Amino acid sequence: MKSLAIVVREDGYDKLLTPLAFAYLQGAEGTQVDLLFVNWAVKALTEEGAQGQVIQGEHADQDGWVRQQVEKAGLPPDIYDVIKALKATDNVNFYACSLAASIFGVNEDNLIPEASGIVGASWFLNEKAAKAEHCQYF
Amino acid sequence: MTDIKADSKLDTSGKCCPMPIVETNVAIKKINSGDILEIVATDPGTVTDIPAWCERTGHTLVESRTSEGGFQFYVKKG
Repeated sequence: MKSLAIVVREDGYDKLLTPLAFAYLQGAEGTQVDLLFVNWAVKALTEEGAQGQVIQGEHADQDGWVRQQVEKAGLPPDIYDVIKALKATDNVNFYACSLAASIFGVNEDNLIPEASGIVGASWFLNEKAAKAEHCQYF
Repeated sequence: MTDIKADSKLDTSGKCCPMPIVETNVAIKKINSGDILEIVATDPGTVTDIPAWCERTGHTLVESRTSEGGFQFYVKKG
């Protein structure tokens, strides 16, 4: 696979793990991976938001156990550290949706340096998602 | 079973997807073409992931072994 585009909508520690793991797999192999964070998930592109991700809802009481399992699997247990590891592959780009950024309080000042910027959804959908070999939505 | 001499070894025991494949990608870059990388794993996902990864990336799976302790893959760098 040469290119993969991923739209991440769901936030929460556990819900972010799968798209990040898929991006890590492909990025490590040399695939160009572009992720657009929309809705609440855009908060994960701030340091506070990334580090503040927790498991919500019916599985909330298992947050600590899941983090231990993630560490055991070999991944950094902190979402921000996972993002840094993905960025280190040099093949993964993180984008914040401009609408989501506006609504949920993400701007150039609090955007993590690993992110490539705040972009319009139209640009991402046409220039990244439509041109990618494969596109996923989480 | 033939005795294969590996030039490099990667032990991913205990780790799960995506780490065995992520670390295999890193390890293969560190060896020369024609060298053999031995990968040790316990993640059952590697049984399908490693052979498919070899096919995609142009490396050769020389041999794979399953034991009580896990899995061993010998990959010749293409």
